[in-house]
Amino acid sequence: MPIDDYNTEATELVETYDFLMKYIVIGEAATGKSCLLHHFTHNSFKDHSQHTIGVEFSSRLVKLGEKRIKLQLWDTAGQERFRSVTRSYYRGAAGAILVYDITNRESFKNLSRWLADARALASPHLVCVLVGNKSDKEEEREVEWSEASRWAAENGECLHFLEASSLTGDNVEAPFLLAARAILLSIESGILDPEKAGSGVSYGDRALRRVNSSSRLSFGSFSGSRRKKGTLKLKVQNWVPGTRCC
Amino acid sequence: MEQKLIQGSKQFLNALGEVDQKLELLQSHILDMRVSCDEAEAQLKLTNDASKSLLERAGSLREQRQEVEEKKSIVTLFLARFTLNEEDIVALTSRDVPVGKLFFEAMDKTEQIRRDCRVLMAGEDGPTKAGLDIMASTSSYLEQGFEKISRWCTNEFRELGRETIIDVTPTLQEAIKRLRSRPELLTEVLSMLSQIRQATLLSSFITALTRGGPSGLPRPIELHAHDPMRYIGDMLAWVHQTIAAEREFLEGLFGLKSDGRMVGSIRRFDYRGEEEEWMQELLDLAVGKLCSPLKARVLQTVRSQESSIVSYKIANLLQFYMVTMHRTIGEKAIVSETLKETTEVAYKVFHDAVDAQGRSLMRVPLDPDDPSLTPPPPILEHAQILREIMTVYHSSMLGDESNVGQATGFQDISNAMVDPAIEMCITSSAQKKQIRPKWDQSVFILNCLCYLQDTLDIYPFTSGKKEHVRSVIQERIALLIQEHFADLLTKAGLQALYQTCEACPVDEPLSHAPGAQPPEVKVALQKFSAWLSSPEVVQSARLSHLTAQRLHAQVHQAALGRLAKAYRRICDEVRNPKNRYEAGSTLLGSERPFGQAHLLWQIFGLHEDAGDDDGDQ
Repeated sequence: MPIDDYNTEATELVETYDFLMKYIVIGEAATGKSCLLHHFTHNSFKDHSQHTIGVEFSSRLVKLGEKRIKLQLWDTAGQERFRSVTRSYYRGAAGAILVYDITNRESFKNLSRWLADARALASPHLVCVLVGNKSDKEEEREVEWSEASRWAAENGECLHFLEASSLTGDNVEAPFLLAARAILLSIESGILDPEKAGSGVSYGDRALRRVNSSSRLSFGSFSGSRRKKGTLKLKVQNWVPGTRCC
Repeated sequence: MEQKLIQGSKQFLNALGEVDQKLELLQSHILDMRVSCDEAEAQLKLTNDASKSLLERAGSLREQRQEVEEKKSIVTLFLARFTLNEEDIVALTSRDVPVGKLFFEAMDKTEQIRRDCRVLMAGEDGPTKAGLDIMASTSSYLEQGFEKISRWCTNEFRELGRETIIDVTPTLQEAIKRLRSRPELLTEVLSMLSQIRQATLLSSFITALTRGGPSGLPRPIELHAHDPMRYIGDMLAWVHQTIAAEREFLEGLFGLKSDGRMVGSIRRFDYRGEEEEWMQELLDLAVGKLCSPLKARVLQTVRSQESSIVSYKIANLLQFYMVTMHRTIGEKAIVSETLKETTEVAYKVFHDAVDAQGRSLMRVPLDPDDPSLTPPPPILEHAQILREIMTVYHSSMLGDESNVGQATGFQDISNAMVDPAIEMCITSSAQKKQIRPKWDQSVFILNCLCYLQDTLDIYPFTSGKKEHVRSVIQERIALLIQEHFADLLTKAGLQALYQTCEACPVDEPLSHAPGAQPPEVKVALQKFSAWLSSPEVVQSARLSHLTAQRLHAQVHQAALGRLAKAYRRICDEVRNPKNRYEAGSTLLGSERPFGQAHLLWQIFGLHEDAGDDDGDQ
């Protein structure tokens, strides 16, 4: 997977962005969801991680081509007893990172239920990425790559699959970027409208400013402009730098 | 010759006379010249004197010019450093220059001027007029600049504040940072922002509740009002997510780097920077506005529940969010306060439901026609509710509670659920016993109590109540042992004899007492011997109705132990010469166990000591 093309950057001080996307991280307990997220946001392994209680939140800015995207990440508890609480956070998510543990077949068995739940409750154009975590523990593997890959292929178009390790950091950014790219493509092709509440995506100031100066959105590396005209009705009046102060 | 000499001399004289004349002329010329020269010299001297002052004047003029030049450059420099140029002034005051880089530079410059000027005026000579002028003019421009920032921010907020999620531009961040030095302007701007955010979040919340997303997805939250857990959960999750987004916006606005903490994890409230205070206040007010629709809906849902289990689940859900909010926005926040109130109401509703459940249980009479001794349906249903409540309680643990804390938390519920059940078993069974005397009340009560004990046994946090139930069971066991002993004594035929032994006055021989005369003793011993061969010795038919088999053994053995002691007492009395039995030993030896109490212990399969202990209990 050509992840290297994405050119990720560390979070900068001034965090303006083109798009804001809401993600949920879901899956059985003890599959390493919080660690994966921690590695993604802090670039280090989270040692002595406790069970997540309910839900926790963090965010990170990533760069995808020319686009700066702010990811709002909701980390959910995997334990059954929190299910009724965590399900409420699926509402209006644009992306879901579905995590299982490659050394624990039990965590793989219920994926259909997790996926169905997410698709029923999140945004209608939810992009899912299946992540087989703990890929560093090859000797304890219980779920083969090919099996998971096949399962992903059988379970819908919007489902990508890869394996990662929140211990070594291997492939930790890829699922988040894959989802972001898929969502950007949806926006570009007009399937997804960030202007609509509940899509899980909204425009940032940066995108609006660019719209004002060039009166069209260009998508950097995705600039094959397949977007239908008029699908993006931007509130240009919201950003007119300086012309209306005082 | 002479003549020639004279002539020559004459000629010589003439020539010399001529020379003399010429010389004289020359002399007069020289004199003239001298006079002229003197004149010239005098003139020169005069001139010289005259030009000297001119020169001096020229020199001093030159110096003056230099000084002026220097002063001029100093003044230029001074002016450049201490006054604002036209562009700066325009940037500061005009609407045409946007708030941005140019504007901020002009602001910086103005402030620099004022700082420098203040340093200058701090000198020995005290404030100069120029200094005061500069301070006055820059002050007015600076204030205009701040006014401009505040107007701009107001506009900006008015435009952006309507968005659910706001992205903070560097300019806005800088503007707010600068306004920090004008607290009254900052307060004004932020108050306006606060009002806009309150209105915006409230309307987003109402939209999410009643309309949902565009084209109905995600569905409106109120669509699930029939499912109380989902309904309340969705509302609170919405509020929680809004808090996270709003906090991010405010962190951006105040230029605070997020501390890398995950929302939901414990926040430390000991550090209180000014920004932090602003942020908390703004967040509190913005989200606080959501409380009234939230509270109304939650309370309505809470009050309309009929099932105590659902009430309990709701109360726990509310408490979970109360704890989450305490940890993220503090206990003093309006949302936290509201959640605290609603949680209390929810628990009150639940406790009321449990109390009502207990009261109604106590009002249920037992079916007098039902001969069974197992726990009746009302108790089974009640225990099932208790079981479900325990499951909910168990799942509401966050995992950081101590065992003692867990037990304390469950105490009220277990009291409210178990005490009425115990009381119902005892009082209702007493009523039934009056209607149906042959019905075995004691076994029934023990069966019910053991069932309750087993129900409580699933979770460790019920230990306190379990101990209580255990002690009630022990009391009931003691009563049953007493009853069973009396039963056995009657069945074994020793009852009359034993009672006479017990009741016999000391000064009268037992053999003379009615009921203990030798023939009667003999009959009793024969009957006892026959009873020893019956299956009752091994197992009691009555006790077989106890659902807990270990209780059967315990009660039976304790009763047998007492029976053995009763037999020993009888033997002792018969052998005692004071009681005047003829051949007492022979009388005893005629029937099993031949007056030997230890044989009886063996027959009963008991150790004498153990029997003593049980008997004493």
